[in-house]
Amino acid sequence: MDLAVIGGGVHGASIALFAARGGMKVALLDRDALARGASGTNAGTLTMQMTRAALIPYALKAHEMWVRAPEWLGHDVGVVSCEGLSLAFTEAEEALLAERAEARRAAGAPIQLVTPTEALRVEPGINPGIRMASHCTIDGFANAYLTGLAFRRALVAEGVELREYTEVQDVSREETGYTLHLSGGALRARQVVFAGGVWLEPMLAWMGLHVPIRTLINQLAVTERQPPVMRTVVGIASGLLSLKQYRHGTTVIGGGWQGRGDRALNTHSVRHDSLIGNVRLAVHAVPGLAATRIVRSWTGFEAETADALPAVGPLPGYEGAWVCGSVHSGYTSGPYIARCIAQAILGQEPDMPLFPIDRLLTSQPTATLQGQTRG
Amino acid sequence: MSTPASPCRDLIVIGAGPAGGNAALVASGAGLDVMLVDEGQQPGGQVWRAPAPGVTPVADADHERGAALRQRLQKAAIPMRVDAGVWSVTPSDEGFEVALAGPAGPELVQTRRLLIATGAQERVVPFAGWTLPGVFGLAAATVLLKSENFLPGRRILVAGQGPLLVAVAAKALKLGKAPVAVVDYNGSLDWLRSLPGFLQHLPSFRQGLAWQVQLLRAGVPFHRRSEITLAEPDDAGVLGSLTIQSVGGGDPQRLEADTLFVGNGLVPSDEILRLLGVRQRPDPFGGWQVEADECGRSSVPGLYVAGDCGGIRGALPSADQGERTGMAIAQDAGLQTGTASRRNPWLDRFADASCALMQVDDRRIFALSDDVILCRCENITAGVVRAAIADGAQDANQLKHFTRLGMGPCQGRMCGANAAALLRLSPGTRPGAERLTPRSPLRPVEIPQMAGSFDYADIPVPKPAPL
Repeated sequence: MDLAVIGGGVHGASIALFAARGGMKVALLDRDALARGASGTNAGTLTMQMTRAALIPYALKAHEMWVRAPEWLGHDVGVVSCEGLSLAFTEAEEALLAERAEARRAAGAPIQLVTPTEALRVEPGINPGIRMASHCTIDGFANAYLTGLAFRRALVAEGVELREYTEVQDVSREETGYTLHLSGGALRARQVVFAGGVWLEPMLAWMGLHVPIRTLINQLAVTERQPPVMRTVVGIASGLLSLKQYRHGTTVIGGGWQGRGDRALNTHSVRHDSLIGNVRLAVHAVPGLAATRIVRSWTGFEAETADALPAVGPLPGYEGAWVCGSVHSGYTSGPYIARCIAQAILGQEPDMPLFPIDRLLTSQPTATLQGQTRG
Repeated sequence: MSTPASPCRDLIVIGAGPAGGNAALVASGAGLDVMLVDEGQQPGGQVWRAPAPGVTPVADADHERGAALRQRLQKAAIPMRVDAGVWSVTPSDEGFEVALAGPAGPELVQTRRLLIATGAQERVVPFAGWTLPGVFGLAAATVLLKSENFLPGRRILVAGQGPLLVAVAAKALKLGKAPVAVVDYNGSLDWLRSLPGFLQHLPSFRQGLAWQVQLLRAGVPFHRRSEITLAEPDDAGVLGSLTIQSVGGGDPQRLEADTLFVGNGLVPSDEILRLLGVRQRPDPFGGWQVEADECGRSSVPGLYVAGDCGGIRGALPSADQGERTGMAIAQDAGLQTGTASRRNPWLDRFADASCALMQVDDRRIFALSDDVILCRCENITAGVVRAAIADGAQDANQLKHFTRLGMGPCQGRMCGANAAALLRLSPGTRPGAERLTPRSPLRPVEIPQMAGSFDYADIPVPKPAPL
């Protein structure tokens, strides 16, 4: 095997796909099915207005990739490209919005501050009581739950050896390449990619490297189908709301409100007060939601490094070993970040710089930063 | 959180039927601070359901038992919430947090112990046209009979399997709506096999026999070992005719009917239990049972189970079990109680006989033709599910992602058991992963009820994400 990719989320699956297209013999392993973790359960928002300023150039490229998914992935992930609004209801939010819009505009996102009247022209569904909004012409969303199906078909067609429901228990370095120790057997590969989401910390510990990864437990909810109440992506200045109505009429409510969970046990669940707060914010922003019902809520893990910037690059001291994860707004930017690191794996110069992890290494294993909210 | 805070309860009982109602009485009588929550407006559950206001009830044994339970609960003054429904339960520092929502908004109540007595729900084996208007569940018919003493329709057909079949048909007859036919999946031999079990509870046996005799006297045709294979609409788009066929072949027969009551037995309403992660085991008659001791202590500390939600047994064993569980909860809280009655083996044999007639072999689901709808909320057919399995879906949650099965308002309550049957028999799927992960809310919640009235400034918005 030329390359073994551990972790079948949007990063691992994209790397496997691009490496296979680059001529490598690739195996992709996940202890679950493809995109059953964060990549299949996230809100699918493809927005610049919740993306870290430093990642805007990547997110813009990735947005284009998502819109053109049928061309390079071969399958539709239900992507809708539309405009987006981030709202300010208070003076403090106005200031936050102005600051954040400016930083993101400087990074290349087509964001403008607009008046309530202008915002209501873009999105008649919002609460007219806003003080200000920031308007981005590049926004949109995917149907995240289709990610696994789309990538599965593409990877199978590309001849990638798919090993779902296969747990990697350890990785050891050989004279040339690496051995992956599996729940049943072993796998040899010249190069290896660690793309294990929040579990990057324990995975990198196999290699004697310590990179603290904070585990966020993001909570989401979805409504019953209803006639259109909104047509854009709507958020608020703090980034703690994301709303979009899918073509079939359901609206996904998110924004990173925290549930409870345990990374080691791989369990996570909803917190009632978080859900109530998030729903209040949602119905305040888009009052038309009052006419529908919440049918389901769920949670998923998001990984965050100490500086909240990605861990994407070579593994220091290990020839042919790579790490890819903790990309803030990882779903949005995922395919492009994966393309860049796949270029490096194939021996090419990446289109945009990677995010090497040397800056994140600590000498000691740290106490797990788990179940904590941001800040 | 700006939802009203209330003191921590000793015990919350979810479900005020034979099991939950009795447990609440016993636990409260022993001195515990108990709150009872139910979806209905009055205690009684499904089998002991109270008539709606102004409706003259049919004075049968179930009604009398229900009336007695309601009277005892009223006398004991156990607080019962009928103004709000439970939409979720999570573990909490005190024990459990029960999330309620109603016209007054959301409310989160803490309790040290929790008893789940949420009963059962109906299972329907799908057939072409089963989602037409005019097709109702058998258990739904019993709800209408008990609460409204009414059944819709003019030309009624009753179909499916299990003891409810005869009960609904006989009650329709009594309302002057003699069924066009009774289509029973079971044959005479199946009933004969269950006879010894039914004889263990003579009052119920006599009642069942009387219903049979009434139907035969009235000339209601019985089609034994037969099933509905097709429901077709009339010009108005509602049910117009039904095609019935002997199980395993034979000439199809078309009957005109505007109303069909159909049901294929009961499955536990175990969503809350599964949400809290109780251990379950396969039920010998199909479906699942909760792993619990004689007194309803589950694998989760502080979480108890009584009645059909832990495994289908019927109303009378559930009432007994509720009493035992109520005592166990009081004892676990350090209180003195009387001695619990022993489990009644005769009632268990009666339950076995009923359950045997309600079994659904997975192969019946596996044999459904591609155009039959499995998930009616999202209109997902058996063919679409088969295509998804061929596309690599190996478990129920993946099936949901690939097809939207189970994503609608019922959250898989209707289709879950049938999708599981299809998965179990399809090659390449993962054993033991054929059930959808349960999610809150347990029932769809109107957004104004979950949000309540609030000031924007009071929403505890967490710190912003890093820029």
